[in-house]
Amino acid sequence: MKFKKYLSLTRAGIIESLQFRLSMFIMVLGNILYLTVVYFLWRAIYASAGTDTVNGMTFSDTLIYLVLATALFNFMEMYTVWEMGRNIQTGKIVLDLLKPMRYRSFLFWTFSGTFVVNFFATFLPTFIVVCIVTKGAVPLGINLLYFVVAVVMAVIINYSIDFIVGTICLYTESIWGINIMKQVIVLLLSGATIPIAFFPEPLKTVVGYMPFQSIYNTPLTILLNGGGGQEVFHALGVQMLWCVGLLFVSSLFWSLSLKKITVNGG
Amino acid sequence: MSPIIEIKNVSKEFKVLNRREGLKGSLRDLFSRDYKIVRAVDNISMQIGQGDIVGYLGPNGAGKSTTIKMMTGVLEPTSGEIFVNGNVPYANRTKNAQEIGVVFGQRSQLWWALPLVESFRILKDIYQISDADYESMLSLYKSLVDIEELLHKPVRQMSLGQRTLSDILAAFLHNPKIVFLDEPTIGLDVSMKSKIRTLIQALNSQKNTTVILTTHDMGDVDALCRRIVIIDKGKMLYDNDIGHLKKFFGAYRTLMIRTDKEPDKQVELFREELQKYKVAVSSADEWISILVNEDEVTVMEVLEAVRNRHEIFDMKLEEISTEEVIKRIYEGRTI
Repeated sequence: MKFKKYLSLTRAGIIESLQFRLSMFIMVLGNILYLTVVYFLWRAIYASAGTDTVNGMTFSDTLIYLVLATALFNFMEMYTVWEMGRNIQTGKIVLDLLKPMRYRSFLFWTFSGTFVVNFFATFLPTFIVVCIVTKGAVPLGINLLYFVVAVVMAVIINYSIDFIVGTICLYTESIWGINIMKQVIVLLLSGATIPIAFFPEPLKTVVGYMPFQSIYNTPLTILLNGGGGQEVFHALGVQMLWCVGLLFVSSLFWSLSLKKITVNGG
Repeated sequence: MSPIIEIKNVSKEFKVLNRREGLKGSLRDLFSRDYKIVRAVDNISMQIGQGDIVGYLGPNGAGKSTTIKMMTGVLEPTSGEIFVNGNVPYANRTKNAQEIGVVFGQRSQLWWALPLVESFRILKDIYQISDADYESMLSLYKSLVDIEELLHKPVRQMSLGQRTLSDILAAFLHNPKIVFLDEPTIGLDVSMKSKIRTLIQALNSQKNTTVILTTHDMGDVDALCRRIVIIDKGKMLYDNDIGHLKKFFGAYRTLMIRTDKEPDKQVELFREELQKYKVAVSSADEWISILVNEDEVTVMEVLEAVRNRHEIFDMKLEEISTEEVIKRIYEGRTI
């Protein structure tokens, strides 16, 4: 019963995003264009490398990875920062703060509908197409289960990072620059634009200590490598730590900032 | 009866950066620690009982919204105490939210792309309204306004009036004890204004909901409020019945007179002639308007004095309007 208020927001989000049919078609079209560019770019990279495998990944490995990363990005990117920034600028945040619900949950569940729609509209079709086209290059087994778990945690990590960046907007009162910076950092360091396997060693080490790779690299590696084993559990464990840590940090940062706002006006 | 809202000696201060002008000034501002303290609300106290409709008035920037934000729990007072429904609002914001409804005239809490009824359903779940309560509220709405057509219309396609109406209905949906209406009739046409006033009045009397109303439209005040509170520059200027307001500032009436001559040219003459009665003379269109304080002199005496020297074509008597009184208070004159 208590959970119903959250699901109600999800339901509203689903209906809301289905209202904008055109934007969904354009998103799919944009994706196809982006993936075409990715295809030719990496074909050129592999052609100039002169070998079949670069950094332990074949051309088709890389391509599958990037296609799925894009699909994952499309359904995970919630534009939280935009929404928070806009709400702060217009002052609508006051109305959201006056819901009998924590703002963090309210915002998350408001977005969750889009999330569900994008999963079925972009990620699932892409995944199925990749499976069929590559004829079994993606192992289908227990790894799917681990993948789902990893994605759930990735969503939480991604949202927490967004929420932290969104909270910064309370101080800066501008969104654009901060959001672009966040997006570039996350997309690069998470391995969504270039697989982490391609990173130079020092950078790889640094990235290893950061939460970003848990968002795209971890779920995708688990999905594409197949099977279970020590490594998978290790990766999930690391994700779990980031998950808990970032939830805590974003929560703390928000309540401290809100205190500042309530003390000094918004 | 214990009050539902209790405000004791509340003040609110903001720290504002002292901005300098020009490019050089802006650059220096980046590193400036030169803050000044602005006192938006200064030592305000009041008590509001369950079921009251209170008009909260003041010129722009008087501190009205700040007070409302403190009552809803979005802002924390710098000093003083606020109790809303027994809770300290900023300490129990989420809990307090369950018992209050808010409408900010310029913004909507409704789901933009969805039909109104979907917003209602979401609010029903968020506020955990039981099916029975929800249905009875909807049928009450149906008896008050023509809601059927609105329910299935997406909010983004609504006119401003329809949207405001919907927002008010949404704020009352969970049957809160208190509803804050911040300029609900702003930008609306005459017929919509009156519709909204009737609706607020009806919901207040049916549900015994306390309503705190800020507005710049004295029509709202006259139609709805039994009690008004006026603040300016954060300080409380007036807190009493609306009936008292006029008496408080004297028993003023305006005598309007038309003669055969141009009123503009006669104002000076009238002023001289009526000097001993301590009245204010001005011209308004083709009328000469004489503001009479009936504690000093009766209207009849003034009329008599005028009639002795001029030929009066036409005359009318006007009670001073709430608007006029408020205007005078804002401008810091005691008439």
